[in-house]
Amino acid sequence: MGNRLTAPAWAVREYGKWRKRRRAWLAAFICTVAAVLICAPLLMIPGGSLMDNAEMKRMLSPILGEGKGFAVWHLIPLYPTISHFYRLLIESPAFYRLFWNTVGMTAAILLGQLAVGLPSAWAFAAFRFRGRNFLFGLYVVLMLLPFQVMLLPQYIVLQKLGLYNHPAAVILPAVFSTFPVFIMYRGFTRIDTEILEAARLDGAGEWQIYFYIGLPLGKMGIQAAMVLSFLEYWNLVEQPMAFLEEQAKWPLSLYLPQITIGQAGFAFAVAVMVLIPALFVFALGQDALEEGIAYIGVKT
Amino acid sequence: MESKKKLWQGFALFMAAMLIMTYVSRMVWVSRMPRVRWSSPMSASIHNKVSAEGTVEVTGTQAVIGLEGLLVEKVCVMAGDRMEAGTVLYEVNTEDLLAQLSELEAQEEAWQKQEESKRLDAAADVIRAQEDYDTTVIELDRKIAEETKKREELMEDLDTHMFRIPEEDAADEIWIAWADERLRFDREIAQKKRMIEDMQLEKEKVLRQADRELEDAKRARSAAQSGLELGASGVSQVRERQERIALLTELSRNGGRVEAKNAGDILEVMIQSGMRMGADAVLRYADDTGSRIFRTVISQEQKGMVHTGDTVRLMFPGSAEEAGETIDSIVQENGGYTVTIRLEPGVALGRTEGVMELNATSEIYDFVVPVKALHNDGGNAVYVLEEKAGILGTELCVRSMTVRLLEQNEEYAAIADELLSGDMKIVTECDQELENGMVVKEWE
Repeated sequence: MGNRLTAPAWAVREYGKWRKRRRAWLAAFICTVAAVLICAPLLMIPGGSLMDNAEMKRMLSPILGEGKGFAVWHLIPLYPTISHFYRLLIESPAFYRLFWNTVGMTAAILLGQLAVGLPSAWAFAAFRFRGRNFLFGLYVVLMLLPFQVMLLPQYIVLQKLGLYNHPAAVILPAVFSTFPVFIMYRGFTRIDTEILEAARLDGAGEWQIYFYIGLPLGKMGIQAAMVLSFLEYWNLVEQPMAFLEEQAKWPLSLYLPQITIGQAGFAFAVAVMVLIPALFVFALGQDALEEGIAYIGVKT
Repeated sequence: MESKKKLWQGFALFMAAMLIMTYVSRMVWVSRMPRVRWSSPMSASIHNKVSAEGTVEVTGTQAVIGLEGLLVEKVCVMAGDRMEAGTVLYEVNTEDLLAQLSELEAQEEAWQKQEESKRLDAAADVIRAQEDYDTTVIELDRKIAEETKKREELMEDLDTHMFRIPEEDAADEIWIAWADERLRFDREIAQKKRMIEDMQLEKEKVLRQADRELEDAKRARSAAQSGLELGASGVSQVRERQERIALLTELSRNGGRVEAKNAGDILEVMIQSGMRMGADAVLRYADDTGSRIFRTVISQEQKGMVHTGDTVRLMFPGSAEEAGETIDSIVQENGGYTVTIRLEPGVALGRTEGVMELNATSEIYDFVVPVKALHNDGGNAVYVLEEKAGILGTELCVRSMTVRLLEQNEEYAAIADELLSGDMKIVTECDQELENGMVVKEWE
């Protein structure tokens, strides 16, 4: 055995630190690139909404089939203008009509989900009854079914009920959606059963337990369900397109398809205005949303 | 919690702003929305009033001939003027006029003197020829008488001689002598007879010659008296001069003013101050007694309402004169139709322009709309007011509908189309220019 050379301890430590830092930098770089790619469409919206039509046309001419090469994009427009916002906010009453349609529709859905889904979730979480597991399994299966599968049955039912081309055709199926029940159920299951038992021993009724224990302690789950539902139904496209014939009853999400490619700047301005309420709701319910998403990953 | 509160406040503010802007945008939208009035098509007939501006033309024109050689001092009329008999047309320079007149009068006087002299000479020639004739006749008659007398003497001598006839038994020499004598008498008598006959022939010849000379003298005198010796051109010159003198004299008396002899409309003036006139016309005018025609051009649409033989009303701008006349012909020319009307005598005197009007009533049409409801959409079209479901709900909008124009006047148009119905709302008035599909609101 010859003499074996070993590095000094300080060198080994420095090398280890350098490797960790390198991995961290590499991960940060990859995440940054991924984040930029993912957020790129969002980053285009403010610039596009302030870009005049001539500049927009010049940059998008390859997409429009009027130029060669690749489309380019300026995050900051060369000739910024608020003309699209002026046209949208001052000259487009149709936008407001659809905006308030969306507000009303979303509010009705959320209230309906609170009225219907919240007791359901509490029942699944607080009571043990025969068929509970089967029923909950059915909820989960219904939650997993895509809309396209349910489209035709829903259409037939709505026709029979005389609700076709009525806002209720969009609101009612959403009210009875199973996803918020699932989220709220997850929130309620985090309440210790000992607390509920203690309340019962202290003589509290089931309604008292629901209102004074269930709702305060399951608040985060309820908020998460409402935020997620808001984001889903604020941008609802397929259901209104399928069940609402009259344009006057459409939500705002169907306003963008009405705008032609030649009005891309106007479309960006619409996108900004559509985004604002969603951002407010996201900011208001960010904590609950993160917790709600965490509930989804928790095993029952 | 504080940040959440601010977020809630921001969200509420945003929603409040959206609510306010909803009203603002709706008000802006409505304020810019075209306002329309409408009416349903009605069943009615179209009263057409065809109106066309035209010109009055004179078929024959008269000319005023200038006074050749005279200097124009002032032109008193211009084209388009009306002239009556006695209207001063132009004035000539009086100094120039008087100078020319004096010169002509001097020429005339000299010529008159010359002619008088010629007449006197001719008269003297006649007298002389007459005297020669008379003298010749007397002389010849005297000679003939002398010879006749001689012959008669010879015949008497012969008779005497015959009574002295010899005895039958006279000697031959006596007989021969007697016979010779008698023969001499016979010869002399015959000679005298021939002489007399010759003299008579000579007399006739001389008389005829003298007679001719007398006639020539008389003819020369007559010619001198009548001026025939000037010849046709000479006489013409004299007459022209005399006429010109008369004309210039009259013009001079009138102060150099040339006046119109007839009434009419002056069409063209070819002279100007300071120019010396030639023998051409100096002015053209339309005589009131000449015939006039009215001509106008009408469109294809108007042609359908105007026919040959129709009675139309003619009016003349600038006057209250109106006339009812009959259309004589309608001829297609240069993409239009030329209407010709021969005017009655005395109509449109002094007029160069006129307006033709014709009132005609059509059949009853099913769909008649105000003419202002029509617009051009690659053809005649109307805007139909309809309800349309849109994002803002049920709105009024206009739809352009192509129609066939059957007939129209200034106010109404008869239209036709398979899709037309009596309960349609046809837009008749709008405060903005409409486009197909435009959302509108009713005029309050």
